[in-house]
Amino acid sequence: MGTIWQDLRYGFRMLWKSPGFTTVALLALALGIGANTAIFSVVNAVLLRPLPYRDPERLTLVWWSAPKLSLDQFPASAPDFVDWKTRSGVFERVAAFKGASFNLTGGNEPERVQSAAVSADLFPMLGVQPRLGRAFADEEEQPGHEKVALVSDGLWQRRFGANPGLVGQQVALNGESYTVVGVLPPNFNFPEGDTKIDLWVPLSFDPKEMSQRGSRSLIVAASLKPGVTREQAGVGMNLLAKRMAEEYPATNADWGIQVQPLTEAITEDQRPALLILFAAVGFVLAVACANVANLHLVRAATRHKEVAVRVALGASRLRLVRQFLTESVLLAGVGGVLGLLLAVWGVDALKAVLPSDVPRLEEIGVDASALGFTLLVSLSVGVLLGLAPALQRTRPDVAEVLKEGSQSVAGGLRRNRVRAALVIAEVALALMLLTGAGLMLRSFWQLREVSLGLDPENVLTMKLTLPAQKYEDASRQTAFSEQLLQRVMTMSGVASAAITTSLPLSDTSMTDFVVEGHLRQEDVEDQIGAYSSISTDYFRALRIPVIRGRAFNEQDTEKSAPVVIISETLARAYFGDEDPVGRRIKTGDGDEEGGEAKAEGKGENKDKNNAGDEEQEQGKGGADEHPWMTIVGVVGDVHRFGLDEKLKPEIYFPYRQQPGTEMALVVRAASNPSGMTAAVRREVRAVDAEQPVYDIETMSQLLSESIATRRLSVVLLAVFAALALVLAAVGIYGVVSYSVAQRTHEIGVRMALGAQGRDVLRLVVGQGMILVCVGLLLGIGASLAVMHTMSSLLFGVSATDPATFACVSVLLAVIALLACYIPARRAAKVDPMVALRYE
Amino acid sequence: MISLRNVEKFYEAGATKNYVLRRINLDVAEGEFISVMGPSGSGKSTLLHVIGMHDTAWGGEYFLDGQPVHKLGKKERAELRNKTIGFVFQSYHLLDHLTVYENLEIPLSYRDTAKRERQSVVADALDRFHIVGKKDLYPTQLSGGQQQLVGVARALIASPKLLLADEPTGNLHSSQGKEIMELFKRLNDEGTTIIQVTHSEQNATYGSRIVKLEDGWIVNN
Ligand SMILES: Nc1ncnc2c1ncn2[C@@H]1O[C@H](COP(=O)(O)OP(=O)(O)OP(=O)(O)O)[C@@H](O)[C@H]1O
Ligand SMILES: [Mg+2]
Repeated sequence: MGTIWQDLRYGFRMLWKSPGFTTVALLALALGIGANTAIFSVVNAVLLRPLPYRDPERLTLVWWSAPKLSLDQFPASAPDFVDWKTRSGVFERVAAFKGASFNLTGGNEPERVQSAAVSADLFPMLGVQPRLGRAFADEEEQPGHEKVALVSDGLWQRRFGANPGLVGQQVALNGESYTVVGVLPPNFNFPEGDTKIDLWVPLSFDPKEMSQRGSRSLIVAASLKPGVTREQAGVGMNLLAKRMAEEYPATNADWGIQVQPLTEAITEDQRPALLILFAAVGFVLAVACANVANLHLVRAATRHKEVAVRVALGASRLRLVRQFLTESVLLAGVGGVLGLLLAVWGVDALKAVLPSDVPRLEEIGVDASALGFTLLVSLSVGVLLGLAPALQRTRPDVAEVLKEGSQSVAGGLRRNRVRAALVIAEVALALMLLTGAGLMLRSFWQLREVSLGLDPENVLTMKLTLPAQKYEDASRQTAFSEQLLQRVMTMSGVASAAITTSLPLSDTSMTDFVVEGHLRQEDVEDQIGAYSSISTDYFRALRIPVIRGRAFNEQDTEKSAPVVIISETLARAYFGDEDPVGRRIKTGDGDEEGGEAKAEGKGENKDKNNAGDEEQEQGKGGADEHPWMTIVGVVGDVHRFGLDEKLKPEIYFPYRQQPGTEMALVVRAASNPSGMTAAVRREVRAVDAEQPVYDIETMSQLLSESIATRRLSVVLLAVFAALALVLAAVGIYGVVSYSVAQRTHEIGVRMALGAQGRDVLRLVVGQGMILVCVGLLLGIGASLAVMHTMSSLLFGVSATDPATFACVSVLLAVIALLACYIPARRAAKVDPMVALRYE
Repeated sequence: MISLRNVEKFYEAGATKNYVLRRINLDVAEGEFISVMGPSGSGKSTLLHVIGMHDTAWGGEYFLDGQPVHKLGKKERAELRNKTIGFVFQSYHLLDHLTVYENLEIPLSYRDTAKRERQSVVADALDRFHIVGKKDLYPTQLSGGQQQLVGVARALIASPKLLLADEPTGNLHSSQGKEIMELFKRLNDEGTTIIQVTHSEQNATYGSRIVKLEDGWIVNN
């Protein structure tokens, strides 16, 4: 034990005595380990740590999939859900989930609350106990039962002042009275990573819903029976799907079932980016290690003599190895502690900039497992760093070294070869990181080039959801929207204002449609489009160009003939160069006589995350549910799903002909509109004092949020690549400097024999650049091999984009040249006399 | 061929100047074979390095082949030197990680000689110095005499008009030394101007003239 102390003390002294080496090594290690710990903390919280539910590995989401319709992970209808629940045989519990929203009134400001209607089974399935009160009872699922609700911890604190007496009280939701039966524990959300849900009500199905097998909008979660694997469940469910296809051919032919682990479902969006980042910081650490190892070897050369003397004095091999290991582990340990500090700071910074749709964001932190990870990494780095030189250094030919005297041939070929290999590895790794960052950067630039299709500058948006009870019929909805628009338009600073039922970059509403004279095609993609109902000024407010025909006007009323405006993409797909104005289109799949179930659905498959938003979908029952509508105009395409998504056909209805309770208000101001929020709110309140607004954002904000994840990945990757570049440059500089120092005599002799400055420059730079070139070639080869794993993160650029490869290679080569040039210039200034005098 | 006028060199030690060469005036005609002698520390090597243009920090005037060296820039000096001078070092200064062949090739590689020509010139030299069999060996695998032989061969490889040799036989047996001296004599007969530093009276007899240095002064002449 005593000797270990001695080793430690000696190790500290050695590090203290070479402050230059220690500073550079600690900096490199701290950056490498810090970046790893920070990203590990995120990866751990988001991807690795088990979900905070009971038996999370048994939890799954169950989806429809219809490969023939290229539909994947599709929600279920109410009768589907009941079939799955009662007939699967592989699940212990099956629960359905449907997003909703309520206007919470009474007390202060009216508020729109993100809500969900869920099966009573959900909470016992997840093993979640309310912190106050109770979860739902089975009978509360029955239609007509007394209305009850659970509130989130957040809402309880915020809205109800954490009042423990809330349980049992009544609250007003959409104008109806609900009894609060419990308060859920802090941070509970389901499904993780989606909208934060503040209010939960039991999910019940009325007879109408139970008859609509084609109307698929429920997210279904299920826990596997003990002993049943996910694969077995998949097989079992697909057998059930086959039987259901026979029983209900009209709605269920061609539909299979997909059983997806809940963990995967929650993390799949973030997984590729996070794993790439994790790999990137791994590379950074590897470059840092190669760097420190190199510095270590330089020092080893200078300590040759010390080792020889120690051996001559009787030190055992083991003792020497231990001494060197102690030193390097000490170094890595201190580096690790500094790295940890960096990571704590880095994680805070990361959490501040991570987009809010990253699941389990609030769980991210430098915790025990991050500490363990850092410890493990530091220890391995320390041992790795120490072992190689330790083994090399403790095997010297004692007689040789002592005889050699101070002017040793320092290092010898073998050590130089190790050092060369380390530099090559550094360059190759740095190149891979640069390539990754370069590709992401190119993607980002490409994305910025994409035109959104509307002008987001100076546009304020906010959402409103009219309570269905209060605004039951279309005329009331229209009246509300028109009053509101009239008031907003007269506000000072407002250029124009409009209403839409589906805000670009925010909402998703999809519908099947049929163009008159066109049979439904095999290519389904062109037969599903986005739709929204808009007020007359919508295109003007967002500056979406009208390409043919006209925009909607005051003559398009509920009494006039139904009209639509279509997007350019739709027009091109169906009409080519012909003028679509005057032609007709209708929603639905056009197969009205094909059976009741099919005729039912407007085929709406709102994005599954927002599936519930259509809860208030307007009843358009009756025979004329899908009337033919005349196309009166064609407008420019809008990238409403995000700049990186493919354009889809889009259909606009006049709000007056197809009103709805969910709407967004868009206000174009003369200048920056962010200060207008309060004024607009006042106008809403003036129309209906109980009507809340929510999701108030400028269009520019929406746009910037839509690329937030991408921007963050680009920035992080670029930072890591820059780090690797700097470390590699330092590594190259170190190796070349060292070799110049080693070769002073040779350079002097060469100069005495006629070499001029440029010859020496060429000699030294050439030697360094050979390593760099080998590293570059290896790096390019490796990049070609692995970059395809990034494809899903790229946009508009191939994973083997030659321009990017060329640019990053040139960048790295130039930096490397500089790193070689500085010591080479020193070499060129060697005074031959100094070298020759050394006689 | 060489004309030194009031050449001075000193090292600064604190505030004082230690003169190593003092007002050296020396003329060497083409075809001469001069031996520089003097006690250790008298400035012989220094003088040779000044003439060989390895040393640039000195005062006075130095004409080589009619060119005022003291007025030439770094580049021009290097060119003049590469064209005119070959140098044999007191302690060989062969490069350990290059073979005999490669060592001989170095001066040529800095004189823009074509690869093919280099090959034939080096082959000639190997032949002339009877070291063909050693061409792939490394300097450490040679005896001291053989190493100095390579050193001489290297100094002569670019056919200099002026050969400077700093104690070329200092580390050698008398018989090996004699061989080198005979070689110098032959070279001198063929027209090469030679300035050698030597301690040995016997070696000095090969030369045509002796220059004696003492404490930085030329004492005879
Ligand atoms: N870098 C230096 N700084 C200070 N003094 C130096 C330096 N180099 C040489 N000298 C001094 O210059 C003087 C001349 O040295 P030089 O090597 O020319 O002597 P030498 O005549 O060649 O001696 P030897 O016969 O031992 O080779 C010596 O006194 C030496 O101490
Ligand atoms: Mg000398």
